[in-house]
Amino acid sequence: MALFPPEGYVRVESAVEGIEVYMPAPEVPQAEPDVVDFRCPQCQAKTAYSVADGGLRCAYCGYYEPPSMPIVGKGAQEFEFTVETVAAAREAHGWGTERRELRCESCGAETSLPPGSLSHTCPFCGSNRVLQQDAPEDALRPRFLVPFQIELKRCHEVARAWLGSSWMTPASLKNAARIADFAGIYIPCWTFDCRTSASWRAQVGHQVTERYYDASSKSWKSRTRTVWRWESGQAQRVFDDLLVVGTERLSQVLLGQLQSFDTRQLVPYAPSYLAGFMAHAYDVPLETAWKRAREQMRSDTHGACRAQASTSQIRNFSMSIDFGDESWRYVLMPVYLAVYRYNDQAYQIMINGQNGSIAGQRPVDWTKVWLAVAAMLAPGVLLGLIGVLAAALGLALPPSLIAGGGLLIVAFILLLVGIIFAVITLNKARAMDDA
Amino acid sequence: MPELQGGWGIPMVYVICGQCDWRYLAPDTDLPEHCPHCAAPALARLDADEAQFPYPHPPELVVPFEVAEAVLAARIEAFARGIPFVPTDLNPATLRERMQKLYLPMWLVDSDVVASWQAEVGFDYEVVSHQGRYADGAGWRTEEVREGRVRWEPRVGQLRRHYDNVAAPALGLQEAAQRALGRYNVSNAGDYSAEHVRTAIVRAPDRSPEAAWPDAEVGLRQRAADECCSAAHADHIRDFRWAPEFGEPNWTLLLLPVYATFYRDDEGQPQRVLINGQTGQLSGVRRGSMKRAQRTSLVIGIVALVLFLLSVGAAVLGAMVPPALAIGVVGAVMAVLIGIGAIIPIARVWSFNRRESRATPEV
Repeated sequence: MALFPPEGYVRVESAVEGIEVYMPAPEVPQAEPDVVDFRCPQCQAKTAYSVADGGLRCAYCGYYEPPSMPIVGKGAQEFEFTVETVAAAREAHGWGTERRELRCESCGAETSLPPGSLSHTCPFCGSNRVLQQDAPEDALRPRFLVPFQIELKRCHEVARAWLGSSWMTPASLKNAARIADFAGIYIPCWTFDCRTSASWRAQVGHQVTERYYDASSKSWKSRTRTVWRWESGQAQRVFDDLLVVGTERLSQVLLGQLQSFDTRQLVPYAPSYLAGFMAHAYDVPLETAWKRAREQMRSDTHGACRAQASTSQIRNFSMSIDFGDESWRYVLMPVYLAVYRYNDQAYQIMINGQNGSIAGQRPVDWTKVWLAVAAMLAPGVLLGLIGVLAAALGLALPPSLIAGGGLLIVAFILLLVGIIFAVITLNKARAMDDA
Repeated sequence: MPELQGGWGIPMVYVICGQCDWRYLAPDTDLPEHCPHCAAPALARLDADEAQFPYPHPPELVVPFEVAEAVLAARIEAFARGIPFVPTDLNPATLRERMQKLYLPMWLVDSDVVASWQAEVGFDYEVVSHQGRYADGAGWRTEEVREGRVRWEPRVGQLRRHYDNVAAPALGLQEAAQRALGRYNVSNAGDYSAEHVRTAIVRAPDRSPEAAWPDAEVGLRQRAADECCSAAHADHIRDFRWAPEFGEPNWTLLLLPVYATFYRDDEGQPQRVLINGQTGQLSGVRRGSMKRAQRTSLVIGIVALVLFLLSVGAAVLGAMVPPALAIGVVGAVMAVLIGIGAIIPIARVWSFNRRESRATPEV
């Protein structure tokens, strides 16, 4: 070698005398101040992350600082479940840098705030009483995040339009609801990559039609019976960036209704992205999140195995599954939270800060719903009554009996259809009410 | 050619087998009766200038004969057992009687090495993974498993080391001998003393140190790679590359112990049997006696023929005495079956010899 040691290599301790060992110089993490104070270098006013521009902007003098981190997307570093990592994850919880943390006495939510901000309204339950306490420091900290791409001012428009979009809600909801300010918050999430390999075995039923001689009627007849045959197979599935939310403080139902986040927009963590936003520490530890992810993967693979069977009649199904190439990331995802009041009740709204999809709680006008159900069932019921009357008249007037029979059949069909739609409507209303 | 140097402790002479050309060093007062390689009856002495022995000095290290007598006896018994129609000359007593101690040589080289090197080193670590089983009615059962992985990282460095006793083959057939006799544990080697060769014969090297140097260089490289792996506190190493400069090498000999014996087959040809003097691993072709098998087959064939003739006679008599016909038929059938069975001894020996020839590596 012409140059020794090569550039970028540092000497390390050698266990054998007479042998020198050099390794690539490890990355030295830049020293970050305990508290990052975002101030405009031109006018000393506070700067905040600008969603429109994707960087830091001063609202007073217009100073702009572009984002320092390129998009890494799915190339963002992943970590394996090493024995040391799992042990550290069991010990660790929370954040890597000191931040001001507020704890809500009403719902217990802990929210990490940038220095200098005050929180009057808890974004989770709307409570006005908060306490301050220091956030714990630990080694397990987020290294990537998806920055906000939806501007705050759009949130109210989106929310208003959404409030008026369902016929099941009260008519006055859209205009009468008092929506509090939306709060942008980064929620903790875990992403998991994995490859599953499964082998399965089951008895699969096949319908077989056969002819047989019926001695009693002295004739050949045909019948259908089920023949059970053993089948087996193998299935492999690849899971890329399966997302598990790392907090239980937010409604899991609403989070599930939001469209999933696109991890192709991941950027390396930098304090500037959080300037002006809140961030929530994880309360679902890595092991718990991994267990939930595995359950999803297991279910998916289970379905893939059953789908391989030649028919859908399956019994004595058994399978074995092996998880391989498992890796994880701890990331932050952007969400806007707000609470609105209607008839002295508080309801929560959530907007995906990346793609603008909305989910939330809405009151159900049950009067409307029951009227709609009645309207669905009414044609069938009425027609049925007419049919019964016509059939009764048929005792005296035979043609009326036939007409009555026909009406009853149509009424039955209409009733059946009405019941189906009614059940669907009631389920939707119940889901909206339970959100 | 240099005279055989003193330091062997006892007078040694060069000898050569007139049949196979193998050259040896033997104690002057105890020349072997036959060649350990081909069992030729006499070895001829050679003058120093005829010997072309590339290394006149006594060996530095010797791996001693360590096989216990009981183990040796058991191996020979096992070798001589289970052979169909075993040759007369193949028996444990004869093999023990003809056994002689032989040493095979191996070069050892000492050298200073200065080199720059680069490689990838591997560090073992474990990951936590899971496996699950599902059955209708029983649900899921999951268990945590640990899997071993290796993390590879680049390293470079320089080394300045002295390596002692790196082995290199001194015989052209070293590899064949190793396949037949297995590996030796050279860490058990001790310093040479005259007692090692007083009742043994030493095979002379047929490769010069210069010819053995490429093999020695491979050994030095392997030694350096292992040390660099240790220096880096790593568990594995791969893609090791280096640019070495070697000091003047110092060559010595290592002797490896072998027991050599033989038996004579049907044709009177000696069949060599070698035994690793350290581990007792035995190498030799077992051959059944085709002559004995043929004799046995002939006897069976004659018996079958006689029986057949008698049966024919009985069948002819059957014209007058009906029961004799039945006896004749039965006898004839038995004679045919016995005649077919006469092939068995020959087939058995042929099959055995063929199988043994293929299974035994040749030295």
